[in-house]
Amino acid sequence: MNATLGRWATDFIGLFQAGGMVFVGLVTGIIPLLIVLLTAVNALIKLIGPERIDRMGEIASRPGLQYYPLRYLVLPFLAVFFLTNPMAYTMGRFLEERDKPAFYDAAVSFVHPITGLFPHANPAELFVYLGIANGVKQLGLPLGDLAVRYFYVGLIVIFIRGIVTETITRIMMGRRAEAEDVNAESPAPTGRTTPEGGTA
Amino acid sequence: MNALNNLLNRIGRAVGGVVGALYQSGRDTIDTVIRNILPFMAFIALIIGIIQKTGIGKFIADRLAPLADNVPGLLLISIVCALPVLSPLLGPGAVIAQIVGTLLGVQIGQGHIRPQYALPALFAIDPQVGCDFIPVGLALGEAEPETVEIGVPAVLFSRLLTGPLSVIIAYLASFGLYS
Repeated sequence: MNATLGRWATDFIGLFQAGGMVFVGLVTGIIPLLIVLLTAVNALIKLIGPERIDRMGEIASRPGLQYYPLRYLVLPFLAVFFLTNPMAYTMGRFLEERDKPAFYDAAVSFVHPITGLFPHANPAELFVYLGIANGVKQLGLPLGDLAVRYFYVGLIVIFIRGIVTETITRIMMGRRAEAEDVNAESPAPTGRTTPEGGTA
Repeated sequence: MNALNNLLNRIGRAVGGVVGALYQSGRDTIDTVIRNILPFMAFIALIIGIIQKTGIGKFIADRLAPLADNVPGLLLISIVCALPVLSPLLGPGAVIAQIVGTLLGVQIGQGHIRPQYALPALFAIDPQVGCDFIPVGLALGEAEPETVEIGVPAVLFSRLLTGPLSVIIAYLASFGLYS
């Protein structure tokens, strides 16, 4: 009887001992580097001044194919790097209404890929990357390659996401405009045609 | 003499500014570590401890590892995460993504999942990122209510396409990683 209870107690405490070992590993393995890195990047951002990327936002709002990479690649990266999650999304205020959902999509999709190289951008959500990276580390493999690839695949993905979401938003806005036209002047079937509008 | 004073004054101010910025950054950093990072580490450590010591780890390993060790399985995970009804529920605080990421990490560490699948797995578990936050994120960007009305479904539908696509891109980009 006592032996059984004793074994249960040992097993029970064992759960938390294992957790404690993991905690010590995380704190000694990750925190020291993180503190120094966060301090350096935070200081850099303070010295540069995050308001300087405002101009970039104004340029990125221009129409035209050549501004797509600026709007859904450069601007989301700069916004997430300098303003961090969640203030990065305020950069959307410089853009046209129809581009705002796409910019939000691009920016929010970058808050995890950036953490491999720049953890200051989203310190509350590090474990999407760190969780998987810890497993790779346990195998004795270097993490640099994974962090860099996560970063640049993230850039490719946010660019595609920006374009896809912008297209979907335009189609939906076109349909809504058409529906409103039909409602407003119901006898006239030849309402104003929207160039991007799909067939309702 | 006046010029020299001016120069010294300017140098003093500049140095003071830099030191002040560094000190304030250190303060912000420690604040972040204590408020955001350490609590999550405690939470993750507890979960890992429990899944390692009980049979739950093996149970999850048997089900998750076969999915996460090949492209069709990862695509399936990404499609489930990107479903427009599920994605806003899976999003908040990225808690689900962080737990699943940690579970997959444990599996990689134990050799159940090959390490080159780490990169596509990172994208497979994350198509729902920010789906819970679309109205707030758009409001931060000073969007009109009409934009929010259209923006929410637009982003959710877009994820259904770009979620699986991101897994394929990540898979293609993982050639030569750890092999």
